[in-house]
Amino acid sequence: MSEKTVKNKKKIKRHGLSVLFVHCTVAISTFVLIFSGLGQMPLYKRYMLDLVPGLSWVSDFSVTLSIHYWAAVVLIFAIVYHIVFHGIRRDFDMLPRRGDMKESVQIIMAVFGFGKEPENDKYLAEQRLAYIFIGSSLLILVFTGIIKVLKNLPHINFSEDFIYWITQIHNLGTLLIIIGVVVHLGAFIFKENWPMLPGIFTGKIDLEYAKRRHSIWYDRIFEKKR
Amino acid sequence: MSDFSRREFLKRSAAAGVASGVALTGFGKNAVASDVAQVGTIIDLTKCDGCKGLDTPACVTACREENKDRFPEPIDNIENYWPHKKKEDWSNKKGLTNRLTPYNWTFVQKTNVEHDGKQHTLHIPRRCMHCDNPPCANLCPFSVLHKMPEGPVVIDHDLCFGGAKCRTVCPWGIPARQAGVGIYLDIAPKLAGGGVMYKCDHCYSRVKSGREPACVEACPRNAIIFGEKEKMRALAQRRAAEINGYIYGDKENGGTSTFYVSPVPFEKIDVELMKQKAAQPNPKAPGFPGMPVDVENFTETANGIAWSMAIAPVAGIAAAAGVAYKTMKGGEKNV
Repeated sequence: MSEKTVKNKKKIKRHGLSVLFVHCTVAISTFVLIFSGLGQMPLYKRYMLDLVPGLSWVSDFSVTLSIHYWAAVVLIFAIVYHIVFHGIRRDFDMLPRRGDMKESVQIIMAVFGFGKEPENDKYLAEQRLAYIFIGSSLLILVFTGIIKVLKNLPHINFSEDFIYWITQIHNLGTLLIIIGVVVHLGAFIFKENWPMLPGIFTGKIDLEYAKRRHSIWYDRIFEKKR
Repeated sequence: MSDFSRREFLKRSAAAGVASGVALTGFGKNAVASDVAQVGTIIDLTKCDGCKGLDTPACVTACREENKDRFPEPIDNIENYWPHKKKEDWSNKKGLTNRLTPYNWTFVQKTNVEHDGKQHTLHIPRRCMHCDNPPCANLCPFSVLHKMPEGPVVIDHDLCFGGAKCRTVCPWGIPARQAGVGIYLDIAPKLAGGGVMYKCDHCYSRVKSGREPACVEACPRNAIIFGEKEKMRALAQRRAAEINGYIYGDKENGGTSTFYVSPVPFEKIDVELMKQKAAQPNPKAPGFPGMPVDVENFTETANGIAWSMAIAPVAGIAAAAGVAYKTMKGGEKNV
């Protein structure tokens, strides 16, 4: 049986190990990349973060550059894994659909007590939009980052205009991903979203919550079972 | 799902692999396949005498004259680099010629070195080495330093923020910073940036028009020789063999466009220069470089990791294909 419900605990499986693995590796590597990437700007010495006990290394560009590269290795692995895995399985639940923008507005309004939330599938419309925003930002960063890595290798030179704009896009991508992460985490300010949290750590969410808020997904699963 | 065929699986794997590969690597590279011959210089320390009899060596005077229109003109009342209570302002020391400053892009170090029982007095013209794989240009957070196809490494003064990372990653700490000038003043002068970085650009505009750099032209003893880089390298090797001497700059930082030829080992020169630096009023101040032998390029470790970056997508494809195949055979949906 594929759609595992754990009825005695009133839980339902929302994510499998692959999704948990990808989310975890992307989240950790992205945080490390943002931190080490900002360290490539001469920020931490200027603002004396390196004077905090245990953080003297943060203003050492050679250390933060190596960390940035290793975190990029992890992120690239996870992104390729994610695209290939879901591509083969044709699991496209996270991709935005027509009307997601309108639905997202309805969901947000409902959180503030205005109107009724629309019926949701496995993912909320706003989650699908957040996915494409964060995913696109990461792809921009990886693509421009790879070019920057190539540029650092001996005997590889790019035209000055090309590398200048690649760098600006990489820096802009950093801003976008920071916005994306802040908004993504900000969603959990609202109590309504709290029951989703255990799902990304254990793979399971409350069955009643799924029935109430993800009714389209819930109905599909239990209809098939019948 | 368990009835899906091996052929279908392979088809999907190939499509997903290609899609992720394209997404992650792009369609092509805008690499510069330069067919321009690179230029280089030899600095022959057996010939340079620091222009005895002149207050300032001719190469230094010529450099200052050539570049005077590009020297910084900072605003009055320059702010400190908040939250620090300091700034790098050389505008009241424009006349300094015994170190690198934003107003002095080359200078001549003088040192006495004992070698094989003989005392050698050496005069060493110093400036940017114009590295083959310059960390300053590679690691500039705004990519406003460039290795030009002809070899010189050039700073775009209009776009430089003056964070001075280029100086930190340069083994010789060559670029010099002037506060109170540049694009940072238009953005957040109190909070970010620190001015503009200045250094020798090998007289790039002259080089592009087929002329020699000003210092080369001005040298009265032919101690600085300019030409096609590989010819300069060969000439330096010949000259070093003639005097049973040593070369500096061919291997340092992964290779440079500047080849010093000396009758004494550069390890000894570096020791003497470091002693001079330590004796200065502010030994930590940049602008008085040593000559560390075989110094490593700042990007060397990171470039080693780049190979793992090439393996990561292949590993990702293999792992994903394996797991996807397993879950599809098992008919699992919530993955």
